[in-house]
Amino acid sequence: GRPPSAPPDGGWGWVVVLGAFVSIGFAYAFPKGLAIFFKEIQDFFGTSYSEIAWVSSIMLATTYGAGPISSILVNRYGSRPVVMFGGLLCGIGMVSAAFCTSILQLYICVGFVTGFGLSLNLQPSVIIIGKYFLKKRPIANGLAMAGSPVMLCTLAPLNQFLFDNFGWRGSFLILGAILLHCCVAGALFRPIGAATASVRPRLTEKRRDASQEKAMEMRSPTSVPVKNEMEDEGERDCCEKINQYLDFSLFKHRGFLIYLIGNVLMFLGFFAPIVFLAPYAKHIGIDEYSAAFLLSILAIVDMVARPATGIIANSKWVRPRIQYFFSFSIAFNGTCHLLCPLASGYTGLVVYSIFYGLAFGMVCAMLFETLMDLVGAARFTSAVGLVTIAECCTILLGPPIGGTLIDTFGDYKYMFIKCGAVMVLAGTFLFIMNYYNYHMLAKEEKERKSKEEDPTSVRTEKEGRNDLNKETALNGPELEPLREEQEALKKEANGT
Amino acid sequence: LTTEHFKQTTKESMPDTVVKYEVFLPGVSGTSMGKNITLDRASTIELSCRLDKKYSHLKSLQMTWKKGNETIGHSRTDENSWSIQLSIVNNSNLGSYSCTLKGEEEFSTTFRLQVPKIEGKEKPTISYEGDTAILTCKSSGYTPIVWTWYVTNGSEQIAINDTLLPDKYVINRVSANVTYLKILKVTKEDNGVYWCEAAFELGKSMGKLHLKVLSLLEPLKPFLAIVAEVIGLVTVIFLYEVYSKKKEKCAESEKEFDQIEQLRSEEINGLENSRSRH
Repeated sequence: GRPPSAPPDGGWGWVVVLGAFVSIGFAYAFPKGLAIFFKEIQDFFGTSYSEIAWVSSIMLATTYGAGPISSILVNRYGSRPVVMFGGLLCGIGMVSAAFCTSILQLYICVGFVTGFGLSLNLQPSVIIIGKYFLKKRPIANGLAMAGSPVMLCTLAPLNQFLFDNFGWRGSFLILGAILLHCCVAGALFRPIGAATASVRPRLTEKRRDASQEKAMEMRSPTSVPVKNEMEDEGERDCCEKINQYLDFSLFKHRGFLIYLIGNVLMFLGFFAPIVFLAPYAKHIGIDEYSAAFLLSILAIVDMVARPATGIIANSKWVRPRIQYFFSFSIAFNGTCHLLCPLASGYTGLVVYSIFYGLAFGMVCAMLFETLMDLVGAARFTSAVGLVTIAECCTILLGPPIGGTLIDTFGDYKYMFIKCGAVMVLAGTFLFIMNYYNYHMLAKEEKERKSKEEDPTSVRTEKEGRNDLNKETALNGPELEPLREEQEALKKEANGT
Repeated sequence: LTTEHFKQTTKESMPDTVVKYEVFLPGVSGTSMGKNITLDRASTIELSCRLDKKYSHLKSLQMTWKKGNETIGHSRTDENSWSIQLSIVNNSNLGSYSCTLKGEEEFSTTFRLQVPKIEGKEKPTISYEGDTAILTCKSSGYTPIVWTWYVTNGSEQIAINDTLLPDKYVINRVSANVTYLKILKVTKEDNGVYWCEAAFELGKSMGKLHLKVLSLLEPLKPFLAIVAEVIGLVTVIFLYEVYSKKKEKCAESEKEFDQIEQLRSEEINGLENSRSRH
């Protein structure tokens, strides 16, 4: 068989980033872009606005809630077939929505079917970036996540144009065809052998591969044996059959739990300010077009902030401590919201929009990068599925809670204070817990290093491999994916 | 240079609510911008023109109030202000009322009394053959007494009677200020301009709507074009992948051959070394 290779960190990888850009862009921007059609559909079916808004909510809920299913499918089949099927599903959903005769049918076609298709787009796109990139992964993530604001800025006028010329039915038909471009993006996701997310234990193969590896490594001592991760998976899992599809042992992973709790908390206050920015602007007397322009400013700053954050996060000062950078950007985001009620007039809101766009882009760019950093590329597939379904609840709760606060107090500032407080809390929590995590990881590495130097230790499979590694130029065992990356980075630093 | 200040005060006294509208003079020299006043029901209003303090030094000022071209009487409320009280009861009472101040300089402004405007839709409502089309009309703020719908046939406006053609038209007043016209089983003939008319106590007001009927083929063309493009792109991507994999395989088989040669030579060297050692 072909020898396992390190993530290419370039070459075809950049084409994959382009595909992920399109795919992620559609997944995040499409539900927001549909809002243009709601007024007409509301008149057509004679329903209230909240009944129409359910379409968006169902879509968003399905996109996040179907995360685990997406992860299972990717674990089983790889990213490419899942994304192509997802694109096809989106297309079918929207085309059938064009022929709907009731609001319930719209819920199903647009909400569930298209939402599910988008979820089959979102997770695999993020996963495949982890397979193609290691050293330049933050940049790749930042660039791919930039797809969301770019697509939103493209979809908004496009949807308006389609609506003016074809009405909502014709627009849905054409949007179905446009969503098929996710299939094109999926076609670009060439499967790559390294760090397969499949967690199947192949003990016999391991021994064969170990000797092959030794031969390979003698010739190319700088290759990072990412395959070792897969071997670890086989040993660590307790219930292997279930974990073959979805790695529930992640719930014992300290980093994963920290990320999960922090992010679930953060999402309570993440999206609400965007939803209420334009209404707040109108509330303090700004006209409709200027209020809409605030959102455009936000999107443009967001567009630039994401790749820029990716580049910063990739630098050798930030990368090893990327979790701190992430916590900082969440807290920064929260502080923006806390200061927003102090903004007076249009200029103040413009300044707020700029900073919010910046903070929003920073958080989004590192959202998946930090998770990859904590659990490693192999377990990321399952991790992302579990995280998105947990976030699903708070994402859906965020804006309605904000709305209730606004209705109860008649003032927008409490919503901003709530969002800001939640996010500052989440950022602080993540900062403290990641400090603890880094500390524990350093301690564990020291323990392992001392154990392997002890010649009377029991030769388990792990240690046997460790000895193999010692014969090569690698320094230390690659057990924790986090440390593995630090090793890779150290080597890079030594090499340059 | 000069600006007009508008002031509107509402004086609520017992049953008669007199709404006051005041305009500061001077306006822009010659004709002024004036003020639009919307009235939907019979009421008593007071219009007044007030001279700006910096011009109060002007002498021999002659104030004339006109409705259209007809002069009407007025009263001088105080040193710098002239006003008229009007009882608006029917459509003929509406129109343009102007006050002109003649002296060394001439200042003039106009109050335009009108019924509430109904906003139609500038952009056409798109519907498809066989589908149902819904045209909505809204009156902002003022409640009409009755709504009527008209369809334009050539240059005529024909009222739509939904009781006469119940399986074609449905007119429904959803709420006090909103009406909709539902056209069932739309055909190409239904294409055109529709009017919704709101009748107020003081007059009628119309809103214009366009209905554009498309056949299903219209969106189908771009749809098929995009699907064809997607299929084309996917095919190209897969073909490129097959091509580059073939190239890789050729290069790899050459490499493997070299590696096997290298392994063999290493083994031979290793044997020689061990033999030389013993």
